[in-house]
Amino acid sequence: MSKSYDADKETFMGAPRNKIPWWPTIDYEKCNFCMECDKFCPHNVYAKTDNEKQLLNVKNPYNCVVFCRACAKTCAPDALTFPVKSEISKLIKKLRSQ
Amino acid sequence: MTTEIVCILPCNGLDKSLGVITREVSLQVIEKKSDVQLICPVLLNNGDERYETLIQTAKIIIINGCMTRCPTKLIEKRNLKPFKQILIPDMFKKYKVKSAKTLILNEENIKLAELIADEIITDLNKSNQEKDNAIREFQEQEFFDITVDKYYFTVPKDGYFFNENDCWIKPERNTALLGITDYLQNAAADILFVDLPELGCKIEQFGDIGSFESSKTILQLISPGSGKIIAVNKSLEQNPEYLNQDPYRKGWFVEIELDNFEEDKELLMNGSEYFDYMKNKIMKEKNHLDQINDERDV
Repeated sequence: MSKSYDADKETFMGAPRNKIPWWPTIDYEKCNFCMECDKFCPHNVYAKTDNEKQLLNVKNPYNCVVFCRACAKTCAPDALTFPVKSEISKLIKKLRSQ
Repeated sequence: MTTEIVCILPCNGLDKSLGVITREVSLQVIEKKSDVQLICPVLLNNGDERYETLIQTAKIIIINGCMTRCPTKLIEKRNLKPFKQILIPDMFKKYKVKSAKTLILNEENIKLAELIADEIITDLNKSNQEKDNAIREFQEQEFFDITVDKYYFTVPKDGYFFNENDCWIKPERNTALLGITDYLQNAAADILFVDLPELGCKIEQFGDIGSFESSKTILQLISPGSGKIIAVNKSLEQNPEYLNQDPYRKGWFVEIELDNFEEDKELLMNGSEYFDYMKNKIMKEKNHLDQINDERDV
């Protein structure tokens, strides 16, 4: 079920979504552009591009569900990384207290 | 792997070889199973506060050196029931070993202590396995519920806490059961496979506990709490449909020994809050789908 978020309005656990840097980073040294992650992600985080060297990019980072790393399971060359969860939860607590 | 805190209480009588053997057995157990906690009988007899708290919830293993059974009396006095009691003279008979009656243990007595320690560990593991396989008992539960189109969603009113990743935690003293919500099982559709974690793994709050695969997707269980995995619901491997049919009870995923639930709770919602959050999410998705269908029809 794909949908678009307005990151300025969305919150995650009471913190503004656009202040939470949670999304995948693609290692282009490893990525073989199989597009499995794009096919898998129901939130339109990824998009195909015309750039031959980077046929895939993270188009909608704030669509990414905070703490979800399910797409990484579909990545055979292990080209996707995410931030450290404990640091993100610390940041969320800090944002909530502001 | 222990499912609870386990304590070992030897008589530790230093004036008899039998007492010295109880000490050796206890040291062998904690050497082989580092999560078992050793209790000093002298300090317990003095009413040490830490021990008094610990033994209220722990599985207690008693090692009596002789028939005076001092550690048993210490526990009985507190109206507690031990998990296992050992009497060293019985062990001499069982393992056909002769007591050397010296305060410095000989090789044979050390070997006996090793055999007793192994017996204790085997019993602990067996008991945990039984607990892993046991169907948890749940009290009658009241639910918030909502029907949207053909889907029916429920959220328990009390006793459960939720994260925004649609996973629940049900704390009980120092342990908690974890699982997925009715919303997540509905979103996943028919769940066909589960990937359970290893016993003993440490997990952080929001760490990945495991995953499950349905006819349409793979989803992860994102932990609402932090702690150590002490039991997994093995029945899900044979019956993954429990996650769809009864996500809050028979579909429990893992049990953890909690690190600090009070801190974890800061980023969790209670049943009523999660129900509002879930309704909001369902309505947004419904509106989005309706919009797509409208555009398609135009």
